[in-house]
Amino acid sequence: MWTIKRFPALWLLPALLPVALMTIYPVAHAFWTSLHSVMLLFPGEPFVGLDNYERVVRSNYFQDALRNSLVFTFLAAPLVVVFGTLIALFLQRRFFGSQVVRSIVLLPWVLPGAISAVLWIWVFHPSFGVLNGLLRDLHLIDGSIPWLTSPRLALVSVVVAHVWTQIPFAVVLIMAALSAINSETLEAAAIDCRSALKRFRYIVFPEIRSMIVVLIVYNALTAFTSYDLVYAMTGGGPGTATTLLSFQIWRESFSMYDFGSGSAVAFIVVAISAVLIVGITRALPSDLFAEQ
Amino acid sequence: MKMRTLFAAGMLTSGILAAQPGAAEDLTLEFVVWNYSLETIQDNVKQFEAANPGIKVKVTDYTWPDYQDSLVLRFRGDTPTDVIYGGQDWLPAWGAAGFIAPLDAVAPAATVDELKKDIAGFALTDVTYKDKVYGLPYYADTISFIYNKKILADAGIAVPATWDEVTAAAQKLKAGGMEHPIVYEYNQELPNFYDAFVAQAYGRGAELFDKDLNPLFADPNNEAFKQLQWIADAYSKDLVQSETHESKIIPAMNTGAHAFTIVYTYVLAALNNKADQPRAGEFALAPMPGSTHATLGFAKSYVVTAKAAADPARGEAAWKFVNFMAGKPYTVAKRWAVEKGLGFGQLPLFADKDVIDAWGKWADVKALGDQAAIAKAGTYTEYSSVWSAYFRPLLAKAMVGEASVEQTMKDGAERWNQLKEQFANR
Repeated sequence: MWTIKRFPALWLLPALLPVALMTIYPVAHAFWTSLHSVMLLFPGEPFVGLDNYERVVRSNYFQDALRNSLVFTFLAAPLVVVFGTLIALFLQRRFFGSQVVRSIVLLPWVLPGAISAVLWIWVFHPSFGVLNGLLRDLHLIDGSIPWLTSPRLALVSVVVAHVWTQIPFAVVLIMAALSAINSETLEAAAIDCRSALKRFRYIVFPEIRSMIVVLIVYNALTAFTSYDLVYAMTGGGPGTATTLLSFQIWRESFSMYDFGSGSAVAFIVVAISAVLIVGITRALPSDLFAEQ
Repeated sequence: MKMRTLFAAGMLTSGILAAQPGAAEDLTLEFVVWNYSLETIQDNVKQFEAANPGIKVKVTDYTWPDYQDSLVLRFRGDTPTDVIYGGQDWLPAWGAAGFIAPLDAVAPAATVDELKKDIAGFALTDVTYKDKVYGLPYYADTISFIYNKKILADAGIAVPATWDEVTAAAQKLKAGGMEHPIVYEYNQELPNFYDAFVAQAYGRGAELFDKDLNPLFADPNNEAFKQLQWIADAYSKDLVQSETHESKIIPAMNTGAHAFTIVYTYVLAALNNKADQPRAGEFALAPMPGSTHATLGFAKSYVVTAKAAADPARGEAAWKFVNFMAGKPYTVAKRWAVEKGLGFGQLPLFADKDVIDAWGKWADVKALGDQAAIAKAGTYTEYSSVWSAYFRPLLAKAMVGEASVEQTMKDGAERWNQLKEQFANR
């Protein structure tokens, strides 16, 4: 008898095929490219094995870019989650103008990375920047602090800007998780325990733990592959102070015309991202990833 | 009856469409530019379209830092592209990769040779690859050492003629309360970040490469090596404020908080623009400090793509467009010079009264002419833009003391030699 339950794989094919074509083909092609010498200036695309990977790993920039990417990720991801959770807890309360505040908090989410970068450049600008102006008005500094052109400060500055752009998404997800907590549980906790900190630790946190793990994984990947905001703010500089691995993919491919090496960096990024996901989910176990 | 009416209406519509061959045969050129003064570009295009019925031009623009990468993407992705802005540093690479075509391929015979006679030497070098002219100058300019006359006069400081004198002047100004006397366009993603360094080295009389294209700059006695040391020293003495683009240098210099900068010469026109700059008139160019006072001259150009050249109709239209924008009587080049202060590669314009009058408002025209006369072209090869992308971050690190000058120059020379060998063996 004819039934849709027969041959399920066959029915899924029309949906799976385009997805497979649009993901497997580009990834396979990128992998093929990473194993060949594909340089715009040179004819032919000979097989070079792992030479591209070796050249990239031994290059001047790789160590800097890897260190910067890891520092950027380990600073940005926890900060986004911590601030996102705090703001979500605050916004969950009803107060006069709470709807307006909720809308304002979401604003950075709707801004494209390039626009956010322009905003933050003007915040950090040494001569006309809001931040230096404020610090001068408060008589905390006399001169100007080169936020974006000092190698030491530039990375911190782009982390601040990145965290600002990512917080709204964290707020939305944490608020969704908070709203799913049984209100009777919260009321009972409020009666039993006067300490808000303890109520968060023993009642609220276990309920939103899965969401927090998801957010940490998501933000670690977002930070590790971040490109547009950092590129627009500093162009990876000064020197290689804010050069991230994702930026190096672009530089190898389109500035140095070496698509083989660019693809090799891309696969290194994928490998490190996979390690990050496994590391985070093992360090912060949650029932979200449990096998029933 | 109804069918007959419909058929008659259809025939009538077809007849009307057939009677308007102009609209049906319009050829649209894809013109790709960086977004400097887009409204002027669009207006020039409009004038071309009015003068050349049947040819339309669609302008696509990118920001200057993204331009080269975006063009490579277009070429690699087969995005329709007919006429582009070319840069002297990318031209050999794009020529070698087969992305662009020599103008001989699209221009009527002998036309390009005739136009060549009017092009300044360094500009002609910059648009030529393997003895073939690939572009006509959109603009040609030099990189200049610019100073604030009033600040120097008030402080009793003579215009510095050497880099040591620049240091001494900056230190005196700093001692007088000026936090950062020098503003530097510090952006490793801009090709002109390297060009500005070369211009300064040329001022000292540096040769960065020998005639066989062997790098010379890793030698501590080379003037380019010494200039990088000078920049690193100026940064370490906290004499320099970095800005990421010339558009930020213009307001910064107009705050009166800085006395010196090194930028494209046309920036002087913007600095001295009385309409929107509070300190307009205070800025002047001085010969590039150093023993020879030479500087870097360069040309950006209108270039036809190989794809356009391969199609006769499209190639012909592309040539008409390039010739309108940069050919005789040099109307568009003159417009850029008069309205925007852009330099030009077409020598007859130096004698044009309108140009002389316009430039006299923001610069000492004689000083400009003297500088152009001793300007030198850069060294550009098929692999120089690839090398420049590698070397610029190294330069940036050395400038701010994150790497040693010696290691930077050594790494730069090694990479140059690698690419040279790789290209020779391709």
